[in-house]
Amino acid sequence: MNPDPSERGSSSLVGSGPIGREEFRRLAEIVLKLSPGQRTFFVLHDGDSGTTRFANNQIVQNVHTRRVSLAVTVAFGQQHGTATATDFGEETLRDVVQRAAQIARLSPPDPEYMPPLQPQDYPPLSTVREDTVGAGPTRRIALAREAIELCKSEHLTAAGIVSSSFKVVGLAANTGLFAYEPRTESKFSVTAMGAAGSRASGWAANVHRSIEQLQVVERTRTAIEKAKRSVELREIPAGRYTVILEPAAVAGLIGPLVWMLDAKSYYKGTSPFVGKVGRAIIDRRLTLQNRPEHEDLLGDGFNGEGLPASEMTWIEHGVLRQLRYDRYTAQEHHVYPTPALDAPYLSAESPSHEPASAPGSSVSTLDELIAGTERGILVTNFWYIRTVNPTDLTLTGMTRDGTFLIEDGRVGSALVDFRWHESPLRALLQVDGLTAPADAVSNENWKMKLPALKLRDFNFSSVSRL
Amino acid sequence: MSRHDWDEKADLVLQRLHAAGVEYGDLRIVDSTSQAVHGQDRRIATVQDSRDVGFGVRALVGGAWGFAASSVMTAGEVLRITNLAVEIAKGSAQLATDRVRLCEEPVHTDAVVTTCRTNPFEVPLETKTTLLQEVMEYLHRQPGIARSSAQLWARRDRKLFVSTEGSRLQFDLIASQGEITATAVDHRTGRFASRSFSTPYLRTGYELIEDANFLREAPRVAAQAVEKVSAPQAEPGVYDLVLDPEHLSLTIHESCGHPSELDRALGYEANYAGTSFLTPDKLGRFRYGSSHVNLIADNTEPETLAATGYDDDGVACQRWDIVRQGLFVGYCTNREVAPKIGQTRSRGSNRADSWGSVPIVRIANIGLEPGRGTLDDLIADVRRGIYIEGHDSFSIDQRRYNFQFGGDAFWLIENGRRTHMLQDVIYHGITPEFWGSCDGVADPSHRRRFGFITCGKGQPGQSGWMTHAAAHARFRNVNVITGKAGA
Repeated sequence: MNPDPSERGSSSLVGSGPIGREEFRRLAEIVLKLSPGQRTFFVLHDGDSGTTRFANNQIVQNVHTRRVSLAVTVAFGQQHGTATATDFGEETLRDVVQRAAQIARLSPPDPEYMPPLQPQDYPPLSTVREDTVGAGPTRRIALAREAIELCKSEHLTAAGIVSSSFKVVGLAANTGLFAYEPRTESKFSVTAMGAAGSRASGWAANVHRSIEQLQVVERTRTAIEKAKRSVELREIPAGRYTVILEPAAVAGLIGPLVWMLDAKSYYKGTSPFVGKVGRAIIDRRLTLQNRPEHEDLLGDGFNGEGLPASEMTWIEHGVLRQLRYDRYTAQEHHVYPTPALDAPYLSAESPSHEPASAPGSSVSTLDELIAGTERGILVTNFWYIRTVNPTDLTLTGMTRDGTFLIEDGRVGSALVDFRWHESPLRALLQVDGLTAPADAVSNENWKMKLPALKLRDFNFSSVSRL
Repeated sequence: MSRHDWDEKADLVLQRLHAAGVEYGDLRIVDSTSQAVHGQDRRIATVQDSRDVGFGVRALVGGAWGFAASSVMTAGEVLRITNLAVEIAKGSAQLATDRVRLCEEPVHTDAVVTTCRTNPFEVPLETKTTLLQEVMEYLHRQPGIARSSAQLWARRDRKLFVSTEGSRLQFDLIASQGEITATAVDHRTGRFASRSFSTPYLRTGYELIEDANFLREAPRVAAQAVEKVSAPQAEPGVYDLVLDPEHLSLTIHESCGHPSELDRALGYEANYAGTSFLTPDKLGRFRYGSSHVNLIADNTEPETLAATGYDDDGVACQRWDIVRQGLFVGYCTNREVAPKIGQTRSRGSNRADSWGSVPIVRIANIGLEPGRGTLDDLIADVRRGIYIEGHDSFSIDQRRYNFQFGGDAFWLIENGRRTHMLQDVIYHGITPEFWGSCDGVADPSHRRRFGFITCGKGQPGQSGWMTHAAAHARFRNVNVITGKAGA
């Protein structure tokens, strides 16, 4: 074993990269051998990540972090304990196993403890892009510079980030379970703003496995266009309006809905979906799937317990089909446990990926949705979304960084931001039109593929004021 | 790793930073230990003992920052990371137009240690799990309770800070917290509702948990959860509000704390957490609230979360006014942003959430100064109002101007008397109008401290820690809506 990555012979400033598969296997063997437990589960995360952050057209923060974290869970019967650490020297491994075992011995039996999974087969997902592996501070700075220069050329101020990471996740247990996966991720987001004193603001973002697929120039131009449209802000009264939500805003409704699809809450009566499995909960044209293999999404090959990713239909033509079962609840109800919905794909397509064909389910472009709207509001993004009432999943939030009045089929005045107050279980039954799914990235949700949606009677409850 | 090892690594980093000719540089080595015991539905669901050790190096070169960090504590890695921080700073400097200029701070050498009666890490685990299981049993004795949770948390941070200016600071800090929650289901209506009781997060030991007496509080918490789930909904309209200190801690945090962060006001957070309606031109001029509103930042009050002796710039903790008799007079600052508004010293509010994070401006321990009279006095002068305790839903715009808050429990006030519980109360408003409607704060005997360890800010995201103290306060003519879809 060579647990010290600093001794791997690389002279590169950004390090020699995270632990390899065979190194992890040797480490896991040591941990499992050290453990006195009947069951031992070992998780390791190792990797580099960096973020270049800019504001006021210059870099204000530029960071690069190497972080190792490992967790060992030891169980004696139904008694279990977990300990974590941040390096994998042999002394640390011994210490972390001992601490986990000590906690397990002192903990009361947990009737819901589930032993680690047996060995699993994992789908070969493409979770790594070499360009991101090789990207360090220099590449991130270069991309930040592109965004800044574009904004400066339009007499706007840029704030945003370029980030990239290359990490590995390893799982092993003395049941024979073994999983190892390298993963890359990169992110770009930019807010283009008017001069000091101006409220003009436009935003765009992207997340991708590949740093070269972030489309920094295109996204920055989108933000610039929105900012330039926002120079003159108009305040109109709160109320119910037809809205066209761009995909990032739709994510603000879908994220909380997905989060609440928890089976344990459902059976305890503390879920907004009680009594709704098998019933239509959103518009019949919409189908929500997990598509971990989609090249633009960030589906992982396995979840934190080692359950393999799988394509799965959660909502089929508006009907709720699937809840998220933890392993204990799944066993109680004689169903398979459910891996996370980490690659959401909402569309008018059938579960077998056939294009929309049912009457009334044809998709439009965003321009067509706008052109077909006599009076409505175009929303770029939502912000600070919180649950107000968990019983009916009422949420609140603000519009942000590009809210525009649509009149006679055209995007017109920029509007002062609204507070809204809606449940996705009500709003998503008011669908008047939709686009094909597109990248949906926001600051408060993970990446999804979602359509833009035209919704009737969306409830804006107050205005932020000029 | 011993203190001697840390000192050796610190010397190595400082030598390298000096050799690289940095304008400023610092190192933080942090060893964090935490223990979380979490109970759910009568069982102990998780016991986790976490250890998080690593170091971070900041370098200022050419007026721009570089930061690199690692959890690998070898001499080779320390040198690699230090060199990387310098190289990143040089890269940042290529785009520097407004060079970073740090304001002056005396050199400090000190050791800061949390004093506590009972070290939470020395309390036997069985004591904690037994307490939580008993509390959950108490909660479930109340008919109508469907779910329960209870948790205890403790953390110890040992830290060494050294800077190229010569400051050398050692920290050994402890924090503790506990909370319990009961969830009731009304099977007639399908509704469910929760009621919680928690200690504040404070820099104290296990005495915080012992003094809280969860077993005494559990029956009340369970009974109120059941009362809440079948309580009538509030009629939307205009009400006077009387807010308890725990509830106010969040209102202060969101509507005063964040807008008073100078980095936000200067645009540093524009792409994520947002900006601030409290722009620098308003300093000393803007009427933020009524004359009853005195909001003071105090990072020197013992036991509070931001009272760490020194911040992560190595600046000594201080006490200063944010709002004085309703007038906006102060910001939370660090050594980088303070000079941008002509201030000669940082307020010492620059903090990172771990060794792996770069310090950023953070909300201080901002509290509402007590006034006169009692809670009963405040309620007695309300004809139609709502008394609110605790936290629940909250949301505020990116300028911290338009906000909306729920709460954990609500009671209708009619003709000067607290009557019955309500549910689904949400109030919303505009920050200066809301604070302008404050016409009474209770006396110092009502002052309580609550705080947060999950204040999200920065990219990559960090969790900030701070305490907000308040006494009960009354606000006139606030808009209340009901938290129900379509309302």
